[in-house]
Amino acid sequence: MQDAVGKFVLLVPAFAGSALIILILTFLWYEATPIFLAPQGGPSIVIQPIWDPNRDLYGIALFILGSFICTFLAIAMAVPLGIGAAVFLSEFCPPRIRTSLRMIVEMMAAIPSIVYGLWAYIVMVPWIKNSFAPAVQSNPLTAWMPWFQGSTNGLSVLAGGTILAIMLLPTVVAVSDDALRSVPSSYREASLALGATKTETAVKIVVSAAIPGIGAAIVLSLGRAVGETMAVLMVTGNSLQIPFTLLDPAYVMTSIITNQLGYAFVFPLWRSALFAVAFVLLMMSVSFTVIAKWFVKWGMKTRGLV
Amino acid sequence: MSSDSCATSGAANETASSAPEPEIGPTRRSLLWLKSQLLVKTRREAKDLLLKILFAITTLIVILPFFLIVIQLAVTGLSGLTLDLFTTFPGASLTGGIRNAIVGTILLVLVAGGVGIPLSVLGAVYISEYSPPGRIRSTVEFASDVLAGIPSIVFGAFGFAFIVVFLNVGMGLVSGGLTLAFMMMPTVLRTTQEALRQVPVSLREASFALGATKWTTTWRVTIRAAFPGIVTGVLLAIGRVMGETAPLIFTSGNSLTTPTSILGPASWVASLPFTIWAYVSDPRPYLQVKAQSTALALLVMVLAVDVVANYISRKVTRRLV
Repeated sequence: MQDAVGKFVLLVPAFAGSALIILILTFLWYEATPIFLAPQGGPSIVIQPIWDPNRDLYGIALFILGSFICTFLAIAMAVPLGIGAAVFLSEFCPPRIRTSLRMIVEMMAAIPSIVYGLWAYIVMVPWIKNSFAPAVQSNPLTAWMPWFQGSTNGLSVLAGGTILAIMLLPTVVAVSDDALRSVPSSYREASLALGATKTETAVKIVVSAAIPGIGAAIVLSLGRAVGETMAVLMVTGNSLQIPFTLLDPAYVMTSIITNQLGYAFVFPLWRSALFAVAFVLLMMSVSFTVIAKWFVKWGMKTRGLV
Repeated sequence: MSSDSCATSGAANETASSAPEPEIGPTRRSLLWLKSQLLVKTRREAKDLLLKILFAITTLIVILPFFLIVIQLAVTGLSGLTLDLFTTFPGASLTGGIRNAIVGTILLVLVAGGVGIPLSVLGAVYISEYSPPGRIRSTVEFASDVLAGIPSIVFGAFGFAFIVVFLNVGMGLVSGGLTLAFMMMPTVLRTTQEALRQVPVSLREASFALGATKWTTTWRVTIRAAFPGIVTGVLLAIGRVMGETAPLIFTSGNSLTTPTSILGPASWVASLPFTIWAYVSDPRPYLQVKAQSTALALLVMVLAVDVVANYISRKVTRRLV
């Protein structure tokens, strides 16, 4: 008797998560419908670049582009560094140092994004403005590069991408490290027995055996990068323009919601357009999660590790 | 070929040479280890060594920001980290302390934990104790993974549209706490599930053999054995939501004092991350320093929770293994 009741009672919290997801999906969709149905909006807002609520223009392409550029920069920096560190941690590092390094990485993951943002705002932004930009623009080796042109106040996609990369690193390192460590040591022994050096074994055998896990790490961090809010908001400059160079400011999806939802609340179309941005974000994060899970499943199957 | 294997057998050489003389010190042992690592005979070994150094440098670059952030906040923020900062309210000109934010963060975490922890622990108990592995279990696991990936600002927008406006709760402690509770759920659920999975089946079987029902076994035996693991998950989740800003901007409001009621404008509540953001956005220069002191306080709190969580989980793994 008690068991049956208990089972029934526990059913509710078990499906709370699923119910919550359905609730979030329907609610964001419900809030975003007006802009998709209105003559001023429609589904084409996703590819329209001009955002000016005063003239009833609600193109959100600019924010999607801004998010993509920052995310791309962050991934380009975080993935090679993160995988390199993960290889060191799992393959070469003495166990005692490994424990403390893993602890630092876990602490980095725990630092709140507002603290990263604050640091980037008070240290990195002035550094880009006063040191980095003058240095690359006066150095004949780099001055010609199109991505270093233009004047800057430091608030730029470069600052946003770099702080995002720093925030992604713990995820990339931890997940890749776990993936590398789960490769059976017989693989390593076989490779070493064939006369391969330790780095040859690490790069050619262990990393390629761990590709599914590393792929999942990259996709998961993609999702985190696109959805990151506070740090990016504080350093990308939030300017409604297309960033042509690394030193130009940008406006990302999370920032426009944070900055304008408070004001837009009483204007139905404006508010709805912001919820459309949130809906796009939600769809992106859900698909990244699905892809990451699929990646791991596929990799486990093809490598016979199930 | 034989020379190629030299680098790999270096570690073995070192242990062999140090075995007969046990009084060898740690410094000398590391020097010997270093020497064995630096012994290069062929081009392949040189490449091996070079790549190893490169990987080590990469690791240093990866952890460098952690120290840069801690040092920066310590240098600028430490001077402002006085007792007054924690015990006084900011006042109209924001010259005082951050007592409102500290109390607010604790209250928000209490509300979030009060709602989120029971829900997710019970959910985890259901899927790992009551449901057979299969569709139900994978649905719940998938849902919590998706939930874990949803951006914090989306939770904020949802909390605003659903709790604040649609349910007409209004901004304040309840709305902010509930939004944070949603964000806690996936972490607590997955770690609880993991903790329950690590409880040996023999414990449950012993309980059943004594005639206990499933319900009694679950609550008296399984959950007790998994308790430290569950605490770890709860602490990790608390550390995570303590630093969340984006979900609170539209749900918790802000306040210069502590909330005096559960609902209505009197329940508007400040939090540490929100205070940092508000102070940084403010042009007054003394608030920039105060923001860094606040950030240092938040960082110390979050890292302390994280370290305790890791300590518990490490202790538990050692006991189980």
